[in-house]
Amino acid sequence: MGELTLGVFPSLVGSMTLDFSFRLADAAMEKGHKVNMWLSGNAVMMAKKGQKAFKDYSHNEKKMKELMGKGMEITVCEACAEARGYHKEDTPEGMKRASMDWYLAKTVKTDRLLHIGGE
Amino acid sequence: MAAVNLLFVVQRPPYKSENARLALTHAIASQTAEIYMDDGDSVVPIVAFVGDGVLNAVKGQKAMERYGVTSTEMHIKSSLMIDMPIWVCKEDMERLGLKEDQMITHAEELGADLKTKFVSFAEIQKEMEGTNHLLFF
Amino acid sequence: MKLAVFLSDWDRTEATLERLKADKMGVILVGNGIYHAVLKAGGKDSPVLSTAGASFYALADDLETRGFTAANVNSKVKVVSYGDIVDLIMKDYEKTAWL
Repeated sequence: MGELTLGVFPSLVGSMTLDFSFRLADAAMEKGHKVNMWLSGNAVMMAKKGQKAFKDYSHNEKKMKELMGKGMEITVCEACAEARGYHKEDTPEGMKRASMDWYLAKTVKTDRLLHIGGE
Repeated sequence: MAAVNLLFVVQRPPYKSENARLALTHAIASQTAEIYMDDGDSVVPIVAFVGDGVLNAVKGQKAMERYGVTSTEMHIKSSLMIDMPIWVCKEDMERLGLKEDQMITHAEELGADLKTKFVSFAEIQKEMEGTNHLLFF
Repeated sequence: MKLAVFLSDWDRTEATLERLKADKMGVILVGNGIYHAVLKAGGKDSPVLSTAGASFYALADDLETRGFTAANVNSKVKVVSYGDIVDLIMKDYEKTAWL
């Protein structure tokens, strides 16, 4: 089995690309692959706790936590988060915050990288 | 022990979205990535501007003066200062009517020796084939 | 190079795709990219489907989300699941590009 790293940059609300990212991660883990996810740019808001689920918006928090429970490593871009007023105390348990170099370092050992840029 | 090559391809123009800025800041972060890596491992980035993304490399940007934000120009110059290659696609410049004298060609004022490289898309394609990972912004 | 290219937009001209070359290329249509698999604007197939030598895939969930089914999909395009996309990334192609 291999290792897949997803770099995810699109918005939490307004684009369904985050939904795609989590479903792809789920499918990869189902097949036994290790998955890392880097949330950066507008995607950092995905990792802010206390989001309320509405039927009109994508809501991936439950899926994200489930995948973290299964071993997916998710790290949030610290500078991108702070710039959006999202601080360390807002981060869900088990989630890391790091500088952008974390993502670059992951590219060294990963078998595949899917970098999903912003919109 | 591995040196991993990363090609950042910027295809969108500046300021309307964060894409170009994030490409440059992530690429620049290669300088400090070793804290997360095993001894001897490294990442070696190149940033290539293609399509409308070549507009990021137009010189004379006054984003700091007008909006108080670091310009994409300054990030490009910072990249040159740390010897990170900056490539700009010549065909796309031509398509948009841009001449080299309108573009960021160097960062000598910051002490950079490296200069912007104006390349054909074929050269960028060749780099895509040789690189370990592609990151399109 | 074995390259999997992801397209998630319909209304952008993908000039980069037209210029990309690979020994083996897969174009994976997701999100609004699936419209390239089902629409015939002006009576013609999307130019994306003319990408030389490429194989084409469209994500079933994203087709169905947008009111289409496999029956609407251009015969050049294979309808795939998330699991299939994982296999394309991990087994069939070496690099990915999300345009």
